[in-house]
Formats: sequence, C-alpha cells, structure tokens
Amino acid sequence: MVFSIAYHFLHNAAGAEEVAQDVFLELFKRLGTLESREHVTFWLRRVACHRSIDHARRNKIAAAEVSWDQLPEPSGPASENDPMRTRRLQQMIARLPEKMRMVVILRYQEDAGLEEIADMMKIPLNTVKSTLHRAHAMLRAKAEQAMGVKA
Amino acid sequence: MNPFDEELKRALQRVDPPAGFADRVLARTARAERKNHASASKWTWFFGMGGLRWAAACALCVLLAASGAIYEHDLQQRRRGEAAKEQLMLALRITGSKLQIAEQSLQELDSAGQPRR
Repeated sequence: MVFSIAYHFLHNAAGAEEVAQDVFLELFKRLGTLESREHVTFWLRRVACHRSIDHARRNKIAAAEVSWDQLPEPSGPASENDPMRTRRLQQMIARLPEKMRMVVILRYQEDAGLEEIADMMKIPLNTVKSTLHRAHAMLRAKAEQAMGVKA
Repeated sequence: MNPFDEELKRALQRVDPPAGFADRVLARTARAERKNHASASKWTWFFGMGGLRWAAACALCVLLAASGAIYEHDLQQRRRGEAAKEQLMLALRITGSKLQIAEQSLQELDSAGQPRR
C-alpha cells in the first residue's frame, strides 16, 4: 500500500522505496499513539501521500518530464486489457498535476472514499469531487485521443 | 463503475515493493533505535553523573554575569548623575558671577548719579 502509493505518484522505484522506508520508520516511532488497525491504515495512507508529495517537491520531480504529446503512438487500436494500453494510462496519470494525481491514486488504487481522501489530503470534500471529475475528464479525453479507442 | 473506471483501477493496481524491502526497513529501524538509545544514554550520563555539578556551575556563572551587569549599570547611572550635578554647579557659578557683574554696573551707575532705566 505505502510503496504502491509512492510508486504510482513518483513513477520511480528508488524514490518510492525511500518514501516508504521513511513512512515505516515514522510508524515505528508513533506506534504507541495509534489506536486501532483502521487508524494505522488511515495514518499510513495519509503519511505516504504527504511524504510522496514532499519528496517530489524536494527533488523537483516535475509531473510532465515527458509531455502528453510525446507519449508513443500505438500501432493500432488496443483492446481494454492490453498491457500497453494500461502502461500508457499509467504514464498519463503520472503526468497529472500533483494533487490531482494523488486524488486519483487514492481513489482508484486504495479505493478510498471521497471524504476519506478529503481527510487524508486535508482539502475540502468539494475540492476532492471537482478534482476527481476534472482528472477523469482529462484522462478520458487523452485516452480517446492517444489510443484511438472510445474510453 | 464504468469501463474507464475499471481501466483506471487496473492501471493503478497495487505494486509490490522490491525484494528485501522489509529487511531494509527493519535494518533502518534498528539503526534508528540504536541512535535513540545512544542519545538517551548521553542524557542519562548528564543527569546521573556529572550533570548536576555542571548545572550548578552553569547557574553560578549566570548569577555572576547577571550581578556584574547590574553593578555596571548602577555605576554608569551614578557617573551620569555626578556629571549632571557638576554641570549644574558650573552653570550656577557662571550665572552667579554674571549677576555680580550686573550688580556692580548698577552700583557704578547709581554712584555717578544717573537715573536708573
């Protein structure tokens, strides 16, 4: 969960491992203050999400090291379960602005509820809703445009 | 959930950490624990062994420095007071001599029989 949040956010295994190690070290220090299994899960997600954003900012990892337009064109229409299509979708997610990217990761990887995402990211619920809506629209449009398949 | 949501879920399915990740986390945790223990031992030494003596010496130094500063401040104020007093006395002496001269001039004028103005 922790490594995966960082990995999808940073798109970099070494950076994700560094973040995940920091999160677990912090967990070790605070273990006494966490009350239940749910509290630990919530805490891990929240800290992983903030540490990933901090890591990206500290290392000046830009969202768009490769622009949308530089993504390789597919050789033909891809099926829904095509690994290449999934890979391209991952690249598109990695190019979203940081907060939008994290909201998408928490929603689709962690299956987190909208209120939970708002709590974890310390942003208003309506912001989560609008951010998710915009991200969805952007990704859908790009997927249609780049992969030639109606998403 | 629509097919595009399903695709997003597939694209963002959980990724396992690389092999040996758990060992590296445990090793780092152990290192942090040792470091904490070492710094805690330093404090224990400070308070347990020579710490109180050091603390007493520091308190004495602070006390001496504070009394020195207060004494210096009093001394300066007294010097300033003395200087102001001397200036006042000088001013009074000058005023006194001027008044004497004026008095003499008046007496001379009186003795010459000129009317006072």
